Amino acid sequence: MTNDVAMNVDVDLDIIAEQVWSAFLNSGEDEAIFAADDKGSHADLAASVAMVGAYEGHLVVSCSHKASRDVASVLFAMEADEVSQDDIGDALGELANVLGGNVKSVLPSPSQLSLPRVSATEHERWPGTVEVCRTVVSWRGEPFVVSLLSGGHAVHKTQEVPA
Amino acid sequence: MKILVADDSRVMRQIVIRTLRQAGFDNHDIVEAEDGAAAQTSVAAEKPDLVLSDWNMPNMSGIELLHALRSSGNSVPFAFVTSECSDEMKAKAEAGGALFLISKPFTAETFRERLNDILG
Repeated sequence: MTNDVAMNVDVDLDIIAEQVWSAFLNSGEDEAIFAADDKGSHADLAASVAMVGAYEGHLVVSCSHKASRDVASVLFAMEADEVSQDDIGDALGELANVLGGNVKSVLPSPSQLSLPRVSATEHERWPGTVEVCRTVVSWRGEPFVVSLLSGGHAVHKTQEVPA
Repeated sequence: MKILVADDSRVMRQIVIRTLRQAGFDNHDIVEAEDGAAAQTSVAAEKPDLVLSDWNMPNMSGIELLHALRSSGNSVPFAFVTSECSDEMKAKAEAGGALFLISKPFTAETFRERLNDILG
């Protein structure tokens, strides 16, 4: 099944992002700005989960290398210079998984959520999709763009680690 | 008590274990499994007193794990810790014999509320 790309969905990405950052990334007001300005910032990595079923699309979170390292550092409770590429892939993928799971809960059901996929943005495309909504979280001065895409063929099956 | 934490994400297993400690449940033995199949093996070998399992995992999902355990006669207390928490999933979990679902993101307070009767 493929969505009508004009499908109206009622998803408050701002609230979902705030809940996730607050619970898992120790985000007090001094560290995070929610619904931040989208200044077209550069993203190196994208983590995504696909939704297949009554809703078809992707939840994507993208950020810089530094931001992804900081996420892994906090989630693994390690120093930033100690985290490995595997750690970064796991942490950023889980961030997308938690965001995607919460988004899926307010989308048409039933649908299935894929395992997360993490890759360099220069290698990542979501053909046939349109962006339904997005929010930007500025955390520790680094922007995280969280996007909900509709349409396309969701075929994520395996988790990949950034090169 | 012995607690089995099953999640395909290493970082989420660490977060669950850290949150158990923050919730005051720090005197328990923890074993980890990286997917449902590994958890099924671990339940047989380790005989945990509680299973905290993700839902969406490779090889064997959390709900498949629960069904496999119950169909083999194993009645270990079982709860899901999952990013998806729809009514449909709650109904499936309950029908399968799970105690409850804890949704991600969670806090130590959530863990205290849901697990105190079992671990307190």
